[in-house]
Amino acid sequence: MRWFSRLYGSNPLHLLVTIACFAIAGYAANKLAAGGDVKGILIWLVGAVVGHDLILFPLYALADRSIMTVFRRRPPTLPAVPWINYLRVPVVFSAILLLIWFPLIFRLPTTFQADHTTLPTNVYMGRWLAVTGALFLLSALAFAVRLAVGGGRRSPDRGPALVRSDRYERPGQYERPGQYEDMASGLGLTGGAPTADPRERLPRVERPQ
Amino acid sequence: MRPKSRTDGPLPGPFRESFWRSPIRGPWLTSVFGLVLLIGIPIMFATGLFSYAAYNPNLAAVNDETPNKGLLGFYLFSWPTHPIWLYRLNQGTHVTLGLMLVPIVLFKLWSVLPKLFEWPPLHSLAHLLERISLVAVVGGIIFELATGILNIQTYYKFPQGGNFYTLHFYGAWVFIGGFVMHVALKFPAMVRALSGHSMIDVLRTNLAKTRPEPLDPGGLVALQPDPPTISRRGMLAFAGGASALVGLLVVGQSVGGVLRKTALLAPHGQEMTGVNGASPDFQVNMTAEGAGVTAADAHASAWTLTLNTEVITGTGMPPEGTDTVNKVATLTRADLLKLEQHTVSLPIACVEGWSTENQTWTGVRLADLAKMAGVPEPSSMLTRSLQKGGAFSRAVMSQAQTTDPNSLLALRVNGADLTLDHGYPARVIVPDAPGVHNTKWVSSLTFRR
Repeated sequence: MRWFSRLYGSNPLHLLVTIACFAIAGYAANKLAAGGDVKGILIWLVGAVVGHDLILFPLYALADRSIMTVFRRRPPTLPAVPWINYLRVPVVFSAILLLIWFPLIFRLPTTFQADHTTLPTNVYMGRWLAVTGALFLLSALAFAVRLAVGGGRRSPDRGPALVRSDRYERPGQYERPGQYEDMASGLGLTGGAPTADPRERLPRVERPQ
Repeated sequence: MRPKSRTDGPLPGPFRESFWRSPIRGPWLTSVFGLVLLIGIPIMFATGLFSYAAYNPNLAAVNDETPNKGLLGFYLFSWPTHPIWLYRLNQGTHVTLGLMLVPIVLFKLWSVLPKLFEWPPLHSLAHLLERISLVAVVGGIIFELATGILNIQTYYKFPQGGNFYTLHFYGAWVFIGGFVMHVALKFPAMVRALSGHSMIDVLRTNLAKTRPEPLDPGGLVALQPDPPTISRRGMLAFAGGASALVGLLVVGQSVGGVLRKTALLAPHGQEMTGVNGASPDFQVNMTAEGAGVTAADAHASAWTLTLNTEVITGTGMPPEGTDTVNKVATLTRADLLKLEQHTVSLPIACVEGWSTENQTWTGVRLADLAKMAGVPEPSSMLTRSLQKGGAFSRAVMSQAQTTDPNSLLALRVNGADLTLDHGYPARVIVPDAPGVHNTKWVSSLTFRR
């Protein structure tokens, strides 16, 4: 058995499952290709992965980091209560709705009303904007409540509720020795003895060779 | 010892493990999203397979949008007519749940993104195969969601000439192959991660107390995490909230009634205004204009219904060299109104997920018309429409569907004559049949022995 694992990188069951699943997927892919437009389908399938992993993800990750950086570098007094999620949530909710309904929002399906539903497509842009507006309003309200409540509960050693939010810029906050023990205990887990490479303390799990 | 190249690899940016900084990424969070999908995706797959069965594709070529299905039709069965809300529930679930899974899929993909840039990219043959299967999983789920989402908006910008059924059905099987493999390989890791710490503890842990998970061999947990900006419970609420919002804005198009007004972002979330008084009217998805049926074609003075009989041999093909279709009667609308009228209460439910509440249909039982044609127990019934072309200008119903006492050739709905968009002069209404099989503007019925 060892020779197999060494050669293949996992146990024989892995190979069996792989073959069975590839057989199903391949059988269906063959039917899909029989439709004739193999290029179109491949563009869609690979485009889906590339579109998400290499375009959508970098864009939203970059936007998230940029917004945090911009607000951190600029001097206005920012509340000490974490504010980023009051921005993230309405933005992401609205973006997901746009991602799903962009054809109707931008009135792209030209036969929607006459051939299909009798319903106009010109309402969806307004509806999406209204929902977006409501989301931001609710978020602002929630933030206001949080500020009021947080302000009342602040402890004297933390200073006023409204301060420049630079506390996350303290270097090395998470890099001191023994950090992983703290983290583990914070999660109700116990860590092993600290070593130079924290990953060494984990139970040895072989990566596929 | 973890491979040195993971942190100090030759490539910059995301290929270095130190690039990934989220303090909450880790096996536990990924496993929670994975578990939600592990419950949701089988429901999607099953309701999708049922939806295909609802067309009774084995009954006739005109019913089958994917005739080359081969073994993939192994499970097909004669679609029932009871309970009358079955197809409505099936499609409402399929479409609403599918839309609600969009945010979950996005959050799940976010949680595992460092794995895409794993370096070195391949450790072994087994690892190569796993990565290939991930194209089927990730590409497949996005492909299925995208084709479904575009189809319900009647935005047919698909490859392959826009044949939605082919893409969505075969695409689902490609995806499920990758999905089963992914689950088989990752299930133990998911169980391990979830049992690692309790959900209740996570729900009690606020932002200040949020710490990274212990480093994992899979490399999801950041080596140099940033301070957290959102707690794990916050992240779960974020994903769940997005899902709930999508659902809230769409489910009304399937539930109907006053809830339709809440379906602000749904193709059938607007109330339809009736042409002759009924307001709000119930929804349609193929107008007379779209079907190429004019008021003149459908005018009561011009229109007749032809009843035919046809002999079908055991193989489903007419016997060789015989004129198999035998015209037995021609009826005007006035003739039909003189026959015994029945009233039934049935919904219209579309493959696209929207549906109407029960409408009150009045007309002649299909079973009575079969008797009139001299075939009281037809093996099946072919309906033809005045509709010009289109995949659903013809449909075949099974014996159970044809002889069900709720199955009508409807002439009136909700106390008024059918409007042209609802199928005037006459339409078929059969419990649990997909909307497109409730043929409008019927021109002939052929009962097969």
